[in-house]
Amino acid sequence: MEKLSTDLLVIGGGATGTGVAWDGALRGLDVVLVERGDLASGTSGRFHGLLHSGGRYAVKDPNAADECARENGVVRHVAADCVEDTGGLFVTTPFDDPAYADLFVNGCRDTGVPCEEIDPARALREEPRLNPRISRAFRVPDASVDVWKLAWALARAAQGRGARILPYHETVAVHRDRDRVHGARVRDSRSGDEFDIEARVTVSATGAWAGQLAELAQIEGVRVMPGRGIMIGMNHRLVNTVVNRCQMPTDGDIIVPIRTVSVIGTTDVDTDDPDDHSVLQDEVDAMLDDGERLVPGFKEARALRVWTGVRPLFEDRKEGGPASSRDVTRAHALLDHLDRDGVSGFFTITGGKLTTYRLMAEETVDAVCRQLGEPRPCATSTTRLPGSGDGKYLHVGDRLGRRERELQDDQLICECEMITRGQVEDAVRQRGTIDLDDLRRLLRLGMGPCQGGFCIYRATGILRGMHGINTEQANEALLDYVRERWKGAWPVLYGDQLRQARFDEWVFQGLLDVEHFA
Amino acid sequence: MNGSLHYDVVVLGLGVAGLTAATRLAEGGARVCVLAKGVGSTHLAPGTVDVLGYDPERVEEPAAAIPRFIAAHPDHPYALIGADAIAPALEWFAATLEHGPQPAYRYTGGLERNHLLPTAVGVARPSALVPQTMAGGDMRSNEPVCVVGIPVLRDFYAALCAGNLRNAGVPARAIEVDIDVGRVEANSLLLARRLDDPSFRAAFAARLALLVRPGERVALPAILGLRDPFGAWSDLERRLARPVFEIPTLPPSTPGMRVYDALVAALRAAGGRIVLGAEVLDVERSGERVTSVRAHSSGHDTVYGARWVVLATGGFGSGAIELGSDWQAREKVLGLALRGMPGPGEPRFTAGYFGPQPMSPVGVAVDSSLLAEGTENVFVAGAALPGSVPWREGSGEGIALASGHFVAQAVLEREGATATA
Amino acid sequence: MIEDLFHEELRASLDHCIKCTICETACPVSNVTPLFPGPKYAGPQAERFRAQGEPQDEWSVDYCSGCGLCTMSCPQGVKIAELNAHARYAVKQRKGVPLRDRLITRPTVLGRLGTPVAPLANATLKLRPARVLAERLLGIHRDAPMPKFAGRRFRTWARRHQPPSTGTKIVYFHGCGTEYYEPEAGEKVVAVLEHNGYRVEVPDQDCCGLPLQSSGLFEDARKYVKRLARALAPHVRDGTLIVGNATSCTLMLKREAREILGLQDDPDLALVSRQTYDICELLLGLHDRGELRTDFQPVEDIVAYHAPCQQQGHWMGKPALELLALIPGLEVRELNARCCGIAGTYGLKREKYQIAMDAGADLFGQVEASGARIVACDSETCRWMIEHGTHRPSVHPVELLHQAYGL
Repeated sequence: MEKLSTDLLVIGGGATGTGVAWDGALRGLDVVLVERGDLASGTSGRFHGLLHSGGRYAVKDPNAADECARENGVVRHVAADCVEDTGGLFVTTPFDDPAYADLFVNGCRDTGVPCEEIDPARALREEPRLNPRISRAFRVPDASVDVWKLAWALARAAQGRGARILPYHETVAVHRDRDRVHGARVRDSRSGDEFDIEARVTVSATGAWAGQLAELAQIEGVRVMPGRGIMIGMNHRLVNTVVNRCQMPTDGDIIVPIRTVSVIGTTDVDTDDPDDHSVLQDEVDAMLDDGERLVPGFKEARALRVWTGVRPLFEDRKEGGPASSRDVTRAHALLDHLDRDGVSGFFTITGGKLTTYRLMAEETVDAVCRQLGEPRPCATSTTRLPGSGDGKYLHVGDRLGRRERELQDDQLICECEMITRGQVEDAVRQRGTIDLDDLRRLLRLGMGPCQGGFCIYRATGILRGMHGINTEQANEALLDYVRERWKGAWPVLYGDQLRQARFDEWVFQGLLDVEHFA
Repeated sequence: MNGSLHYDVVVLGLGVAGLTAATRLAEGGARVCVLAKGVGSTHLAPGTVDVLGYDPERVEEPAAAIPRFIAAHPDHPYALIGADAIAPALEWFAATLEHGPQPAYRYTGGLERNHLLPTAVGVARPSALVPQTMAGGDMRSNEPVCVVGIPVLRDFYAALCAGNLRNAGVPARAIEVDIDVGRVEANSLLLARRLDDPSFRAAFAARLALLVRPGERVALPAILGLRDPFGAWSDLERRLARPVFEIPTLPPSTPGMRVYDALVAALRAAGGRIVLGAEVLDVERSGERVTSVRAHSSGHDTVYGARWVVLATGGFGSGAIELGSDWQAREKVLGLALRGMPGPGEPRFTAGYFGPQPMSPVGVAVDSSLLAEGTENVFVAGAALPGSVPWREGSGEGIALASGHFVAQAVLEREGATATA
Repeated sequence: MIEDLFHEELRASLDHCIKCTICETACPVSNVTPLFPGPKYAGPQAERFRAQGEPQDEWSVDYCSGCGLCTMSCPQGVKIAELNAHARYAVKQRKGVPLRDRLITRPTVLGRLGTPVAPLANATLKLRPARVLAERLLGIHRDAPMPKFAGRRFRTWARRHQPPSTGTKIVYFHGCGTEYYEPEAGEKVVAVLEHNGYRVEVPDQDCCGLPLQSSGLFEDARKYVKRLARALAPHVRDGTLIVGNATSCTLMLKREAREILGLQDDPDLALVSRQTYDICELLLGLHDRGELRTDFQPVEDIVAYHAPCQQQGHWMGKPALELLALIPGLEVRELNARCCGIAGTYGLKREKYQIAMDAGADLFGQVEASGARIVACDSETCRWMIEHGTHRPSVHPVELLHQAYGL
């Protein structure tokens, strides 16, 4: 591949990176985005899906609360198709300090987080599975976000403005010429080819990996303290509203209904390695206990899988940082390395949270434009993303409704998540991928209760029947997916999901015997 | 007492193990009642009788391999049952399916040599006793194969199967022939019901005949009828004038349902009762004997008194054994002791999908006669037994049949002893 | 409004689904029509996409006949049929209930209207133009099997009937079919019970609400079944049993009213539920204790036995088979077809009649092949369907016992 050159090179394809790419492209910059894996496969794709109302930070971090409150409204407007308007509740359970509720009310008032106290009986009518012993309940505009939809909507929007979006391109070097960064060398991880990208400005939107990336540019002292947290995905929506415990933010105090599942989060364990995905038994046990406090019967409900995400909690080495990651600011940090290190053409945006991705992108591209000396106004707070033109929210029932309308038109391949053969084939063609995990993020293939027990064989069969895909590639796609799914399954394998795993083992190892491909 | 009934033997579970035990017992003159929460694994399994497929390398000759296998795995069900007890169970099964009340469904093979039949992804899977309708697929033969895909059937993909057959050295190609069933998607059972109809089958055969080439074996997904599958298969072979064989699809399994129908008919003919929907709630005991089983029936419970109980409820997959979120495993039906549970702090599962999984061989603790530990009259058969990993060994039906057959014999012998005494 | 927590409990059972397809093998409807994608789809799968207050575009679950075979065959304990019933209720809430459904789900109303004018009503029901009109106006299929009004009511006979002075007291729940269409079946039930030493009481009673429930009219169904429970409960507080021959209706009392309509807190219903027995279940229990009279005369005949879905829903096996086997000379052919298709009022509906006939085709073929002259079956609507589909007489198993006793 020949050398690319562009105005703005964005490294990192999470919500922030795709947000920066879209913002830059919308302002008329030529943009290239590179991501080492699939879009939103790092921290963005490994959280619980909450679009914050700001309530969670109303007492502890008023600035963050204020930012969230504003951006919540903006994201609902520009990316409605990625947002489920679930609403949120903060409830005082018998395990919470009752005094916090009044602090919470005051905090919400002071930070502009819309908050309405409702009768606990009403909260229980709306959410029958909630702990019946709650004493107070507050309604806030929390919502959930399908982050893969969001990242791809941002990417497609940017592509519509000429941006080049390159997933599976890992940055192997950052080109620095004395005091100026002028691009990077990337490797196409599927072909192994390396090439250079020449850029007027390079933005590292690599979140928890920002320190590693800065080191490639020989910039010292960018410290992102990865705070690792686990989340457990439950088989169905135990609640239809985001439910938070009304207390100082702690472990396992929130359940987020998103698409067909509900996710409980999270823990916070300091780690050195942002690629550390280990799950500790104690964490799982504690999380299940926490779930039980919010929703009695939680421990008998079906856990599908567990995953970990690493928060990019920024700590500048120059300042004395606090010890535990939950106490480090959740606010984002934009580093102009010209100001900080005397290196032009290079910015790091890290920290923050998904809810404020757009604001982070706006501030970043503002700074980029300033350095380029080309003032260009930001329009991302008013420009709707592709798919969100009608302002209609995403609904959990959408796929069922669609299926009911198209019952006689196409085969269901993934029955749990109601994905048709046509959707699988289109996705393979459009994405040019045969990685079933990419299809998972794109379509939710295999994300339901059977975790691919039926659809993975079907998808593999469909892949093999498509032009240009040979038997070995199809076999590998199947095996990769089966192994990948197992990773998040086995640490929470009990009850119903163990039955499922046993059934899946019979299908893959007994019936199909995939271990013994010739 | 209202809501109570009395039997010689209450069998719990309606899979191959339970049906085998119950039918053998009824044939032996016992009054038998089968209680089942639902239908068993027959409807999911491929319908072959796999006795020993991997140890861990592929087993060619089970008869020769089993004694070695038993020596290396003294806790395995085969070690308890004994190598000699397997063959009679297989013979009984084949005879029952061929000569039972249902139209003859013929099986072929035995312990001498495993068949190597292609799976739906075209892998050679070793099976000891197989339906005649599948036997033609043996991958030791290098006769070319024409794999027929049916687009409406979303549970079988011919190109993938043929590709892997070629990789394994069997000349193969894939074709597609659709079957119009007035809908866009179908499972193998729906197609099998259509192919029960001789005229429907004739029309299908006529279209197929135009596409297959001389010298080819014709591989079809396992859809060749439910009512008289052997007849349907013979009919198709005759019409195509070439060998035809079936390949099991994703569930539901038509070949498995044929086994279910045949065994249920045999059980009924022998006078056994079946109560479906009867989830066991608890039992009454007298010392170490279970004297009755209380099962859920609508409105009120029903108590089934029994001199003997056969537990054939399956393992973790059926939910009869459950691992709770407290990481304690329980046998949920009778509260029996388990064997093989990893201790506290020991891993239950490991990160490699194909790696060793310590939880896999957990089952109900039994003595060498398959009596559950702590009981005098509860025998255990099938997947509830500890010490095996059937989906990896390729031993599921072998264990189910052999243990079901074995416990029936054990009960009949003890009944006979009581009667004589 | 379905009680929320109760619904959540049902919903929680979807967690047990491992997608194994066993319910699909049992479903009589999805096997014959693509309009109903099957119990797994409509139940545990679709349920994950349903949420309170969310927009909903479902329609296919209305094609579920509510037979309950899915729940019975599920080895994992998923309340599939119950989830489907709730979803069907929600569809009806949204789309409205056609007049037809309000009419045919009220057998007592129809019965009271039809009985006094039975000859006229029966003649009208036989008239092709009248049926065509009923199909156009009401959506009741012109070929659907409609029972004949007996022109008299079972209760009238029961009031005049002189019970024996001694014997174990038992309460007879006869159901609407016996009351308006088959009073002689009820008379035979009473005779068989009396022959076995029971003193039969027939308290005032009305419809159990099952047809309403299966058509998604939950509020009305609740009213009916609660009223029935209130009527029966005072007679059985002393431990007396209730026995019924209308197997669907006894199942409604035993389980469905509690598990579908969420009435598990109704104390009268709880009592009635516990004490209710299907007639064959009761008699088999007697036989097990050696208390069933077996003074049967030979009946030289061939009978095919079909266990209707709702009979199987009692989760008690097929006691009728054990009883019929006691009759000397009688050859019993057990059929293993799943369903006759009618499912109460399902097969009467214009848009569902052909589905019902297709669902029943396997059974009709099995009857044909069995060589049986008559078909025994525990549910009256199924018997009417079997007669319609096979042109053979169909009777309740107890009627054969009655014949063999020579009563």
